[in-house]
Amino acid sequence: MAENRVFDVAVSPHVGSSKNTKRIMWDVVIALMPALIAAFWFFGPRAIMLVSASVGAAVLTEWLCLKFMKRPVNFAFDGSAVVTGLLLAYNVPSGVPWWLPVLGSAFAIAVAKQAFGGLGHNIVNPALLGRAFLVASFPVLMTAGWVAPMEWKDGQRIDVQSCGVPTSHLSESGELDALSGATPLNALKQTFNWEGDSERSEEVRTMLFSRESLKNLFMGRIGGCIGETSVIMLLLGALYLFLRGVLEIRLPLSYLGSVALFAWLFGGPGWFDGNPLFHLLAGGVILGGFFMVTDMVTTPVTKKGRIIFGIGAGLLTMVIRRWGGYPEGCSYSILLMNLGTPLIDRYTKPLSFGEVSSNG
Amino acid sequence: MSLAQDFSRGIMKENPVFKQALGMCPFLAVTTSVENALGMGAAATFVLVFSNFLVSLFRKVIPAKVRIPSYIVIIATFVTLVDLLMNAYLPALHSSLGIFIPLIVVNCIILGRAEGFANKNKVLPSIVDGIGMGLGFTLAMVIMATFREILGNGSWLGFNLLGEAYQNQPLLIAILAPGAFILMAFILGFFNIMEKRKRGGAK
Repeated sequence: MAENRVFDVAVSPHVGSSKNTKRIMWDVVIALMPALIAAFWFFGPRAIMLVSASVGAAVLTEWLCLKFMKRPVNFAFDGSAVVTGLLLAYNVPSGVPWWLPVLGSAFAIAVAKQAFGGLGHNIVNPALLGRAFLVASFPVLMTAGWVAPMEWKDGQRIDVQSCGVPTSHLSESGELDALSGATPLNALKQTFNWEGDSERSEEVRTMLFSRESLKNLFMGRIGGCIGETSVIMLLLGALYLFLRGVLEIRLPLSYLGSVALFAWLFGGPGWFDGNPLFHLLAGGVILGGFFMVTDMVTTPVTKKGRIIFGIGAGLLTMVIRRWGGYPEGCSYSILLMNLGTPLIDRYTKPLSFGEVSSNG
Repeated sequence: MSLAQDFSRGIMKENPVFKQALGMCPFLAVTTSVENALGMGAAATFVLVFSNFLVSLFRKVIPAKVRIPSYIVIIATFVTLVDLLMNAYLPALHSSLGIFIPLIVVNCIILGRAEGFANKNKVLPSIVDGIGMGLGFTLAMVIMATFREILGNGSWLGFNLLGEAYQNQPLLIAILAPGAFILMAFILGFFNIMEKRKRGGAK
């Protein structure tokens, strides 16, 4: 009875693709691995421990939430929780106690993601909200837990004295304190506060913007959060994503371009004398630009909207860095723009073919 | 409707905060400690009972067109009383509640009960309704403050519960504004689930 054969009927789109959530998420996980190697190199085994704790907590929380809400628990293993856990751990200093990233991951998954309906329904990036939660709850740990980078030599950990960060200028007594481990952005922020001492500020800034310092920033030989310091390793991961066709290039390009432009405009002490390269390499801009601004759920879907999102986030990052209370504004700028995403999408909705613009 | 029903309605079935979502401003702002919550609850209950009493007493005298301004005058009278009394006898609590004492004037629960209940009912049920709603409000405030004080300060009503180690590094966000919104969402969500289960069971 050939007439009675039932065909598979599905709504459009009918084009199949091998790109699914699971593949994309695991690609992102792979792309984040080089930065983990850098973290192991500069911050030691402790960094790996913190990252594992964070990822474990994220997956466990996801599984528990799904179980509790009676949803298919294999969603917990689609890789999205792993990405959130990784990104959250990459955003905490390596000197924090182990329960801190665990708590942050649990919050990120349970409150920022599952409470809003799970993957695809969260309004802001879960990892960044987890970080914001940690900064609000444990300001001392999150802003003073910096550990100065060290390197491996013959199986031993040795200090890296030449991190280019003028630690000697940070203590009032002028003594060299190699382990105070402030971040370059911290140092830059402080120079803005020494208004009466322009000579000292100038000296610190010259050190920060020196070729040696920029090289350290590029390699990751600086104090900072676990996964944000090594620009070269992050770029390696981004290149992998690009080659796999996962990376949407408009968002990172407009974000990084906008950071560079506004850094030049007002990133320095006066107008038009900032150092764009320093601002691109320091802090979390590269990590944020390639792995958080590009989050598919919380950023605009329209092409124009993505460029607006990137420019807005870049502007906010630089405004916070220059005038805000925190030395780094990357995470808050992305969170703020995440909230504006529905509005951006609405205003940049393309016209259907044949449709006439209502105000034109 | 019996007096007992008038009284119990405000506590759970029509709890002003959990079921009517009224009085959110003090519910979010002054629940940082159980002491503040109790103080605010008591002040609001006092105003609620007396404003219900007076509104109900004068319900046939007040012209319908100017009833809202009249309620506000009545409520403001008692709020001023509470404000001055608290300033005189409980200065510490008064200073920690701050602007939220004068703001009881615009508390939706009080205006809502004046318009929605005292306006249409006799004096005694109105007083009982005021007590019930006031207790319901206080209960909601204390529940919220319990979570916030324990998480954010490791203590309950000033008693140290979780020890020194926790108090040195508490979950600070719980007593900050974001924590209030997050906890409110979870508490309201919990009551909505309960409501749904109850309705589902009745079918």
